[in-house]
Amino acid sequence: MEILFAVLRILFFPGLLFVAVGGLLLSGIDRKVLARMQRRVGPPIVQPFYDFFKLMGKETIIPHHANRTVYMWAPIVGMVSLAVTMLFIPICGFSAFSGTADLLVVLYLLTIPAVCLIVGGSASGSPFAGVGISREMVAMMSYELPLVLVLLSVAKQVGSLSLQDIAAYQAANGCILFHWSMIPAAIAMLLVIPAEAGCHPFDVAEAETEICEGPLVEYSGAPLGVFKLNHAMKLFVLTALFCALFLGGITSGIAPVDVLIIFALCAVVMIVCVTLLHGICARLRVEQVFKFYWTVVTGLALVSLILVWFGL
Amino acid sequence: MFKNLIADSAAKSPWVYHINTGSCNGCDIELVAAITPRFDAERFGVKLAGTPRHADIVVVTGPVTAQSKERLIRTLEQVPEPRVIVAMGTCPNSCNVFKNSYSVCGPLENFCHVDVSIAGCSPKPEAVLAGIVQATEILKQKRKEMAK
Repeated sequence: MEILFAVLRILFFPGLLFVAVGGLLLSGIDRKVLARMQRRVGPPIVQPFYDFFKLMGKETIIPHHANRTVYMWAPIVGMVSLAVTMLFIPICGFSAFSGTADLLVVLYLLTIPAVCLIVGGSASGSPFAGVGISREMVAMMSYELPLVLVLLSVAKQVGSLSLQDIAAYQAANGCILFHWSMIPAAIAMLLVIPAEAGCHPFDVAEAETEICEGPLVEYSGAPLGVFKLNHAMKLFVLTALFCALFLGGITSGIAPVDVLIIFALCAVVMIVCVTLLHGICARLRVEQVFKFYWTVVTGLALVSLILVWFGL
Repeated sequence: MFKNLIADSAAKSPWVYHINTGSCNGCDIELVAAITPRFDAERFGVKLAGTPRHADIVVVTGPVTAQSKERLIRTLEQVPEPRVIVAMGTCPNSCNVFKNSYSVCGPLENFCHVDVSIAGCSPKPEAVLAGIVQATEILKQKRKEMAK
């Protein structure tokens, strides 16, 4: 019975299906809001579902130079690791798995989709993918440092590396976001989300106008659909992580309502940090992204860490 | 159930790849104009794809020149099925004023099956959008035939 529940959790509720549907809806909201910002009608909110199912029905071409096994498995490994990440993130104080140092597990699991993109791109054997993966590596290096600092400052504030403890602390003391010394860290996290999810001003790796979507250049059909799904799932997982870290403790006591509240919060966070930036910024160059993250964003995160360290 | 869902989705998410086979650049500009916020092609799900591997609809502009013939055929081979080929402007349909030039081997029909042709030199953005919407219907038909 326990195993059955575990399987149901992994496949349905906080696991694969929930993240997939939630992520696709979020990215649909992203496209719709962006369209409204540009004063046009825009695609329907379910547009990412159409894209996904269409790609499932397309022919899959495997290039001659590609390493077949790695090429086909890279997107699936990325998808699974994102679904597993969601199992650790508490939704209104409930998470499927929990341990003493969830935060470290989440940190490691979050790098796997980016690594899968790199591995899949390099397995496809295209020069455009080669440029794309080198840029993805630079992007990874630039956003990992501030992300670690943000997680550390939250952990120091709570005094624990467990996401369950962070949720319990916020239920008792109110949201961490409204603690003044944590505001710089929250801003840093908001800036990390678009880079980690590969969204517009920081999408140096998948620059579609420059290097034809970089690592995805040779992908077609179902594997491309799974990569697009990964992108949407990443949005959801990262915004849910933001809600768990900074906006925890908002509950109504009824489980389905709580899920809706969390989804609405995720949508608001995504509109603020992804859609707004996409609407008003042009894409940065690789070295500009690197410089921006290692100075401004890392600086913000460090300020929070130092303030928290002195107990402010 | 999934067959119908996929066929419907194919009609609602056409990703366009644009290839210039020696066009005067007029049609290229008009195609880009048709996907700007003013005409909002994204409401039909249209996205401009960067590579032929992601494409559903291939828009060809220009009479096919001797230099671009090889590239055109190689590009079209790389587009996964189901795909629809749209000839945009008068050039790919009849070679326009470039007819009988020593460097032109068009029209496009000599090299591939043309599903939709949009007339005009160059066509208005409304005509381009109408052509793309017509192409999505053909895309759906092709997907249904493919699933059989």
